[in-house]
Amino acid sequence: MRHRFSVEITKRLPGFTLDVAWTAGDGVAVLFGPSGAGKTLTLQCLAGLIRPDAGRIVVDDRILFDSAAGADLPTQQRRVGYVFQGYALFPHLTVADNVGFGLRDRSRSDRERRVAEVLERLDLGDLAHRRPADLSGGQRQRVALGRALAIDPALLLLDEPLSALDAPLRRALRDELRSILTGWGTAAVLVTHDFTEAYRLADRIIVYEAGRVIQAAARAELLWQPASEAVARVMGLRNVLHGVVVKSAPDRIQISWRGHVLEAVNSPTRSYLPPPDRPIAFFIRPEYVRLVRKDRRALDAAHHMNQMRGTVVGESDFGTVWSLRLRLDTPGAPAQGSFDLEVEVPHLVYEILEIERDRHWEFSIHRGSIHVLPT
Amino acid sequence: MSADAVSALGLSIRVAIAATVLNALIGIPLAYLLARRVFRGRVLVDLVVTLPLVLPPTVTGYYLIVLLGRRGWLGAPLYALTGWSVAFTWYAAVIAATVMALPLLVRTARAAIESVDHELEKAAYTLGRSESRTALEVTLPLARNGIVAGLVLAFARALGEFGATLMLAGNIPGKTTTVPLAIYTAVQTGEMNEAVLLVLALTGLSCLVLLLAGRLGARAT
Repeated sequence: MRHRFSVEITKRLPGFTLDVAWTAGDGVAVLFGPSGAGKTLTLQCLAGLIRPDAGRIVVDDRILFDSAAGADLPTQQRRVGYVFQGYALFPHLTVADNVGFGLRDRSRSDRERRVAEVLERLDLGDLAHRRPADLSGGQRQRVALGRALAIDPALLLLDEPLSALDAPLRRALRDELRSILTGWGTAAVLVTHDFTEAYRLADRIIVYEAGRVIQAAARAELLWQPASEAVARVMGLRNVLHGVVVKSAPDRIQISWRGHVLEAVNSPTRSYLPPPDRPIAFFIRPEYVRLVRKDRRALDAAHHMNQMRGTVVGESDFGTVWSLRLRLDTPGAPAQGSFDLEVEVPHLVYEILEIERDRHWEFSIHRGSIHVLPT
Repeated sequence: MSADAVSALGLSIRVAIAATVLNALIGIPLAYLLARRVFRGRVLVDLVVTLPLVLPPTVTGYYLIVLLGRRGWLGAPLYALTGWSVAFTWYAAVIAATVMALPLLVRTARAAIESVDHELEKAAYTLGRSESRTALEVTLPLARNGIVAGLVLAFARALGEFGATLMLAGNIPGKTTTVPLAIYTAVQTGEMNEAVLLVLALTGLSCLVLLLAGRLGARAT
């Protein structure tokens, strides 16, 4: 690992306290969480634009801030590239002068060479003499990236770099941004409140909520093993449900929920063994619920586990998929207001199964698709 | 036009130019500090700079005499040391005009500086620029139109200064008699032709200056 940085800071503001500690290394670390969770504040502390009350920030063995030692490197000396939310390009300067802005202490020829190289790599060569006002959103983003990368920063900070763009462009630029970040190999910290964006851009995701870190993990681990119900909610996971433990073993957990006993996979590495009768939270991804075809007989128990029956009580068309709201046949109040489970089916399946006409269904959920959320 | 009138016109223009230069040197840094820094006494500085805008010019002139007159707080030691007093010299006219014009520049320039996106300055800091270099390379260039408009207003104000100038510089023909004072004298002594000529000259000059300010202001927004 070439890069290694650690952040451990507290900052008290009126009505809000930031108190976070996390580490990251090569690649892109994404600070993910709802607006107002302290993500941008953390970036500003990293850049030295805001001074934390206490803590320590170390980037590649260089101490940027250490309250115990009284160290606080000024922004100008931190060598941190910052891509602002609105890009903050200098409107009175050309693209080339924007990109070269941080290279003042280099010789003229050296500076010109570096600017040309950066413009070339970011495919901005033709725009060198334009002003920011004459650029498209995507071009502005690349100029902002180029300006920050030109100084060869020890750390690149990006604050919601895609939020200034409209939706179709946003998706295209997300992938472009990913390839630029991978291509330059600069360690980066990126802030977003959009989970898809976080997942697409991150190597490591640090989940923020109300000024604290509630999970820091590799992106795949976060997707499949959110550490808690709070993380699941911040990620926007659907079907976050509550049951009661029947039996737990290192590889399986049985959960009583809405008159059924569900079997879920436990994670042996996590060694989470809640005692019987303990309340437990879990989630079921809507796209992993299987509707059982009525023309098939004798379900194979190896493939169809956790069988239940219910009625479609609501549905929404999301263009490529239908989201169905199912209410179980078992008596008692539904788990999520008017329904128990949200189930997602592709349009094709919706049409083949004639769900529009046929509202009562048997369905199954593989134990591997029921994810336990430790408390 | 009499020789006195010509000399008054020349003096007025010289005083206005000198006051505008002083305004730029004092007012622009002051506007930047008021717009961007939080410091002790900021409210007081703002108040003192703005007061000449609302006080009668004679009151401002009185304070200037208290400060700079031969027996003033600063004037007395200066007189004791050098035997020279600024009062009743053309420097006094420049100082009076500067003080009277300063709030116009500071208020206009401050608003222009405040409208510059603070993120641009932060971006410059992350790219290694000190605060003063950032002010010179980013903030002030972007606030340029507002600052220039403020300077034009200050020039116009300095050109028309009467009350404070009369108090501190007096009305000494050929020495401290600016156009507004010359007009007053002309009317008092019944030289109406002279008065009309000077009134028209000053009106024309002021119109020119304001038209310029209007164009710059329109471009700034």
